Amino acid sequence: MTLAPARGAKRRATATAAVARRPLGFFLALPPIVLILLFVGFPIVLAFAFSIGLTGGLNHVIASIGLNVHEAENWWGTPAAYLEVLSSPRILRDLVTTVVVTALSTTVVIFLALGIGLFLKLRDGRMARLLSGLAIIPLFIPVVIASWAIVTFYSGDGFLRSIFAQFGVEAPVWAFTLVAVVIGSVWTSLPFAVLMITSGLQAIPNAMIEAARDAGAGFMRIVVSILVPMAFVPILIAITFTAIGVVGSFTVPYFTGPNAPNMLGVSMSNYFSAFNQPQQAVVMAFIVFLIASGIAATYVWANFRSAKDQGKI
Amino acid sequence: MTITKRARASAARLNFGGPLSWLFFLLMVVFILGPLAWLGIRAFAESWTFPNLGPDGWTLRWWSVVLSDETLGRAVQNSLALAALTVLVSACICLPAAYAFARYEFWGRRTFLIGLFALNAFPKMGLYVTIASLFYAFNLMSTVLGVLIVHVLGTVVFMTWIPAAAFAAVPQRLEEAARDAGASKLRVFLSVTLPLALPGILVAVVMSFLASFDEAQGTYLIGAPDIMTMPTEMYTLVLNYPNQVAAVFSILLAIPSVALLLAAHKHIVGGTLAEGFQIK
Repeated sequence: MTLAPARGAKRRATATAAVARRPLGFFLALPPIVLILLFVGFPIVLAFAFSIGLTGGLNHVIASIGLNVHEAENWWGTPAAYLEVLSSPRILRDLVTTVVVTALSTTVVIFLALGIGLFLKLRDGRMARLLSGLAIIPLFIPVVIASWAIVTFYSGDGFLRSIFAQFGVEAPVWAFTLVAVVIGSVWTSLPFAVLMITSGLQAIPNAMIEAARDAGAGFMRIVVSILVPMAFVPILIAITFTAIGVVGSFTVPYFTGPNAPNMLGVSMSNYFSAFNQPQQAVVMAFIVFLIASGIAATYVWANFRSAKDQGKI
Repeated sequence: MTITKRARASAARLNFGGPLSWLFFLLMVVFILGPLAWLGIRAFAESWTFPNLGPDGWTLRWWSVVLSDETLGRAVQNSLALAALTVLVSACICLPAAYAFARYEFWGRRTFLIGLFALNAFPKMGLYVTIASLFYAFNLMSTVLGVLIVHVLGTVVFMTWIPAAAFAAVPQRLEEAARDAGASKLRVFLSVTLPLALPGILVAVVMSFLASFDEAQGTYLIGAPDIMTMPTEMYTLVLNYPNQVAAVFSILLAIPSVALLLAAHKHIVGGTLAEGFQIK
């Protein structure tokens, strides 16, 4: 959404010059920004200082409670905590797990959402509408419940094993494995991706598809050359939000995943509470943040690209 | 949306309406609804023997266990009150900003919008860990205010982005026409802009309510054990009670969500939510 209003506002600024550039807008927009600076920006800066061993000031309390805190002897900090975390084979395995689960879940989610979106676009009917309605349901189920339901469903005495047992087949136990984490992540991320991609695909004029068909394009050709490129930005937004959501998730891997290796969100919480090593937890948070900002950068880039494209027209 | 016969034909050729799509549909039903149904049945189950597909007997015993439990009752109250308070506070803070983002051009506008997005990019658990260390210093741990702050933070993106898109979508000509007809600025906002943007605001309210109702990690880290909500009770519940109690609790926890789903379903599926995250 970010840039549409900006363009409108700019046009107005040059045309009527009535509403534009008054400080009122700035002050109206300030409260959420202040809230975020105060309770997100400030803690993040503080936490970063803590992670590089600057334990004075507001970090004093947490540094004195925590165990195994690396303290810096100078003002610019020490990478000791980062080196410790990055040389721990256990945490490195969690890091790899996090990346793999995120990549896998995002891929599955996007393909499912694309499938449902194309179904709805190319073959509008009761089944297509039911399917898209079905895919929205997880949006309204609290993640805690969803995770617990998925564990029960795929557990040793769950539905999957019960069904297969009727035919004398031994099905695998997926509860408390990484398979369940992927299933849970897909389950909880599906609605947003479906909403994004479906609305992106629906916005494409049918006339374009017809024109391509008249020119002799096949189904795959239409999907690959028209539908996906035209809905590129919504698809990219769906990818980034899904990936960011999964990479930092806690509840799903905590309930459905194994003890080790698990995703960094869980080990972060373990290091903070159970092991009482807050500095290591904060370092992990920054590692995940780094991955997430890499993903987020593509979203911002897509926004700017799209704005630029629209500006040229 | 209608589609041409040709596109239909091409889809049909690819078995889009054939048995393959039925299989896909069936798998999706099992994938999405299966776990919920499987858990839901447990709320009324006496006991369950593997590998039977149904319980050994039916009972309402677990409901009385949950409904007569005082701590669980308090958790229900806490959750509802907190969610309502969160939506109220979040709306007061964010809705004016949403209007500003839609209607004004001002210094730092783009930076602000990206800043809001950055909030989403930092891992929640990591954020709560960092917030917790700050709250220790400010004595906000285990306080209602502390938990409320965490909940409001989780709703800022919804409460700003979705209404901003809704405000931006209100045609300015309508507003100008009302002004020309002699309406005051306030009157224009109340009678033209607000009603037209209402679906977007409604979706934002629903999403924020659910985000707050659903919030577990931060509430647990900041509020436990003094302030327990329904989702944080789930963490302890699944360990300490039989499976059936967790099932009953899950159903209770899902009721507000499903009610809201029915209320706002049309707008959410209609694209208002997607609109909020999109550039057009």
